[in-house]
Amino acid sequence: MPLVRLVAGFVIWSAGFVVLYAVQALGCAYGWGDWHRPVLIGLYLLALAPLSWLAIPARAGAEEGPLHFAALWANRAALLAAVLIFMPVTFASLCV
Amino acid sequence: MSQTPSPIGLHKQLDAIWRTPPGLARLSSVNHTILGKRFMALALLFFAIGGLLSMLIRAQLATPNSAFLGPDIYNQIFTMHGTVMMFLFAIPMFEGFAIYMLPKLLGARDLAFPRLTAYGFWCYLFGGSILIIAMLAGVAPNGGWFMYTPLSSKPYTPGINADVWLLGITFVEISAVTAAIELFVTILKMRAPGMALTRMPLFAWYMLVTAGMMIIGFPPLILGSILLEMERAFHLPFFDPTRGGDPLLWQHLFWLFGHPEVYIIFLPAAGALSTIIPVFAQRPILGYRAIIAAIVAMAFLSFGLWVHHMFTVGIPHLALAFFSAASALVAIPTAVQIFAWIGTLASGKPRWDIPMLYVFGFFAVFVCGGLTGVMLAMVPFNTQAHDSYFVVAHLHYVLVGGFVFPMLAAIYYWLPHISGRQSLYRLSIPAFWLILIGFNLTFFLMHLTGLMGMPRRISTYPSNWGWDWLNLLSSVGGFILTMGFALVLADMVLQFRFGARFRRDPWQAGTLEWATATPPPSYNFAAIPHMDTRADQLRPARIGPTLAGGDGYLGFARNGEQETLAVDMMSGDAEQLIVLPRRSYLPLWTAMATASFFLALLFKLYWLAPFGALATLVLFLCWPIGLGSKSDRGPIDIGRGLAVPPDVEAPDNVTVLANRTALVMNGTLFASLLFGGLFLLVVAPNWQGSSAPTLPLWAGALAVVASLSAAGASAMAARRPGSVLPLRAGLVAAIALQVLALTLLALSMGALGDPTGHARQAVPFVTLGYAALHCGLGAIMAAHALWRHAQGYVSARRRTELVLARLWNGYAGGVVVLALGLVALLGLNGVAP
Amino acid sequence: MFKPVALGATPLLLTGCTGALSTLDPAGPRAANLATLWWVMLYGSALLFALVIALFAMAYLRPAWVARITPVQWIVGGGLVLPIPILILLTGTALVLGEQLLPRGDAPLRFGAHAERWQWNFTYPDGREMSDDVLHIPAGQPIDVAVSSADVIHSFWVPRLGGKIDAIPGHENLIRLEADEPGTYWGQCAEYCGPGHDSMWFRIEAHTDEDFTALMEGGQ
Repeated sequence: MPLVRLVAGFVIWSAGFVVLYAVQALGCAYGWGDWHRPVLIGLYLLALAPLSWLAIPARAGAEEGPLHFAALWANRAALLAAVLIFMPVTFASLCV
Repeated sequence: MSQTPSPIGLHKQLDAIWRTPPGLARLSSVNHTILGKRFMALALLFFAIGGLLSMLIRAQLATPNSAFLGPDIYNQIFTMHGTVMMFLFAIPMFEGFAIYMLPKLLGARDLAFPRLTAYGFWCYLFGGSILIIAMLAGVAPNGGWFMYTPLSSKPYTPGINADVWLLGITFVEISAVTAAIELFVTILKMRAPGMALTRMPLFAWYMLVTAGMMIIGFPPLILGSILLEMERAFHLPFFDPTRGGDPLLWQHLFWLFGHPEVYIIFLPAAGALSTIIPVFAQRPILGYRAIIAAIVAMAFLSFGLWVHHMFTVGIPHLALAFFSAASALVAIPTAVQIFAWIGTLASGKPRWDIPMLYVFGFFAVFVCGGLTGVMLAMVPFNTQAHDSYFVVAHLHYVLVGGFVFPMLAAIYYWLPHISGRQSLYRLSIPAFWLILIGFNLTFFLMHLTGLMGMPRRISTYPSNWGWDWLNLLSSVGGFILTMGFALVLADMVLQFRFGARFRRDPWQAGTLEWATATPPPSYNFAAIPHMDTRADQLRPARIGPTLAGGDGYLGFARNGEQETLAVDMMSGDAEQLIVLPRRSYLPLWTAMATASFFLALLFKLYWLAPFGALATLVLFLCWPIGLGSKSDRGPIDIGRGLAVPPDVEAPDNVTVLANRTALVMNGTLFASLLFGGLFLLVVAPNWQGSSAPTLPLWAGALAVVASLSAAGASAMAARRPGSVLPLRAGLVAAIALQVLALTLLALSMGALGDPTGHARQAVPFVTLGYAALHCGLGAIMAAHALWRHAQGYVSARRRTELVLARLWNGYAGGVVVLALGLVALLGLNGVAP
Repeated sequence: MFKPVALGATPLLLTGCTGALSTLDPAGPRAANLATLWWVMLYGSALLFALVIALFAMAYLRPAWVARITPVQWIVGGGLVLPIPILILLTGTALVLGEQLLPRGDAPLRFGAHAERWQWNFTYPDGREMSDDVLHIPAGQPIDVAVSSADVIHSFWVPRLGGKIDAIPGHENLIRLEADEPGTYWGQCAEYCGPGHDSMWFRIEAHTDEDFTALMEGGQ
């Protein structure tokens, strides 16, 4: 269980990464047009929600357990990684 | 047990159980110390071969219009240089290092599956030999170490060259697969009692994360190699754009492995640094918990970078932006570690000694490579630098800085442990300066050579581009570098021959491996210690003699069995008594059977290959013979007043954990295959107007029902291990149902349409083939459980075989569902415009 | 047009970096942007490298202030505070620059470059084909090149005009280039493509508008 908490944030990050990359490709292949970017931004925000929750230290149970410190910081790193790495969905060219 | 023998007496008793006799019997060794040394020695031999190849490259490129090697030879040489260094040196080197070191660092007497270690070694030796022999025969791979299709496909590489790479490397990768599973399980389960996960030395954390990365990272490459070999051998299109394949699929699969691979190589080296630096700083590592967070972050981020090798293939800018940002951010966990190491030195009382000299080399070279890595992560700059000598310079800075320099530090730090002798330190200092100066002369200039426009992999160049003086100096540097490595080699030989003997713990280290005698005895520890503190702050010189006297867990020889302990994954409380299998020739025979399979494919004797596979399978089924127990023994005394059950009676023993891990790895391979199918559907050219795969609906539906019922039946058998009838009925039903599913799937494969015509038929063909194979494996696992039950090895408490049958049948059921789902998707009219 | 300002601003080192294939000797606005990005990153990296090596040396020389740095300061300061702003700024700049370099918006003249082992066949906006390893373009305006391949993967690279783009069988990739001045700009295949990879050179000849128009109308 503590090991799950250690990797939880980055597993969510990975899932978000795969989904955003796939949606980017699908949107171009099937010509989603104006819907493409809003969908991506929605998914971006969706990925940030659980990551923000994991990054809060005061959350119940967050400061217990043998690996809590490393887990908290790994999850915060995952949040930072998601905020920054997914941010280009807001401005970068979708299909060029 | 009642009367403790003297340390010498205890040593003799234990050594009689654990030792490998001399002579030919050495081929039967399964001992991790011996195999770790073999892995490292062979890796160093390949390093020398790779080094010689690089000398040929530098000789060729020293002057313009060189006629020393023609392009045909040159292409083989640079391909082999990269292949040998990556697959035959770097990966096996750290595997061997971890195989040798981990049990000693964790307080175990061997790894979890000693015979698997031996099998991995033979696969490495045989697979590597195939590549080297092919090179000597003049038919070495010549498509570059990342084997881009279509250049490596049949029309453009009609000879055996590419097959040598695909089959030889896949054969070698078996050793990486087995090592990854084995190291993962060993770190989680086989530590000294009391060593909670949070008390593990950092090297074990680094290797745990590395093993986890290998479990996810290697399957895409293995899948890619299988698909490309199938395209070459049987004309199934996956990468051929004229038949609905896509060369970019190969690049995705290759770099999905290839980028994490760089971190898979770097992390063990960083683990060595995190062990060595505190010893010379004379204080515990700074930021133990921050480093754990950093390596977890690094492990995941490194899977989000692979497209930065593909910035110029024409992918939309948004997708490039994800990978560019991830490539830049991975510098942060790296910086955390770099500053933790510098901070450790700064806040300790740093001593200067030979290993630290090489650690300094690491800092100077690796930081430079990291900075050029950030540069290359920037898409616009990458469009200029990509595939130029700038990249050649960068990758050598990262790999030599991040792996070779730390390994040299590790050699000077740990070679005394292996040899039992200390270096006389005459040659290591000039060697260091030759390596550092030679390396920078060779590769620093290459940054400029690349920016001046020299692309990689050209065998010669005219004199008019201004590259002449740069190349000449790089070649001079290369030879200086080689002299440095030759001196290190000489130093190692001299240390083995003439080094000064020492008692214990020459560096005042804080980790357990120095508590063994040196060279280490066959059983590592006469008794296994109890850990009350973090296991990187120990006093090995004090613990060592105590353990040698048998004061600890299992401080005795019992029944002539190879005993060691398993602990609770998190807390490290003693949990099970593991009896390890004895030395055996089976791994060698099995590896030879595997070799016959690969050689049959290589020489296109396709009728022979199934026999090789069958022989391998039969030999593997011989492995469990004689292992396990026919009666319930209950808790057994392990010393220090504790008694634990034997591992066969524990519900979550190492075998179960290893099979779960193997299934995760296997699942990653299958996920890569599903990804490949979807990728081709969405991206590949020439899908318009292709005909959909035709699948008999009834056969598919029935296969799903049969395979899922088999999973249910085996689960039922596992739940009722005590009652004979439901157990046997469940297993027999599972076998019958999986055979039915296999038949139906084979039938469907035949009905799909010509699989050599278009990827839209080829992908369902292999996907269903994979599913059919796993139905077969499910049946075999159920039959194995039935057989073991009939022999009396299975009881209500000893039910490992039943759990394995449940796991593999459940996996097969899931695979059948997903495989048919993919086929259905490819059958719909969902082709992208 | 000679650009004394740009030349004066370039470092002295650059004099050793000229060459017909040198990315550090740009001859168009796009390649010049890329070269500027390189010089900025080079100076920044040199500073960071010096900082790390100096700190390593300090750890051994041990002035008092180094010993006073706490563990948290080492890790948070060096591992987070130092790199994060630099990386955000750099990546952000590079992405904005990347957006500007994309071949989109007003479609300029479009040429074709079709790679075949081991030569380049060029097509012109009017559909004409030529296979003599020379591409004629107008100078002083951006042009697009659609890059494709007949066999294996190649890469189209004219270092003095801009970055490279791969020629991949089954795909067509677009790259936008621009030459400031009329002249000859050498290009080459940058992706390993077999035994003839060494000599897969080509040239881009940039002409003044009038010359280019005349060349096109001349039906050459």
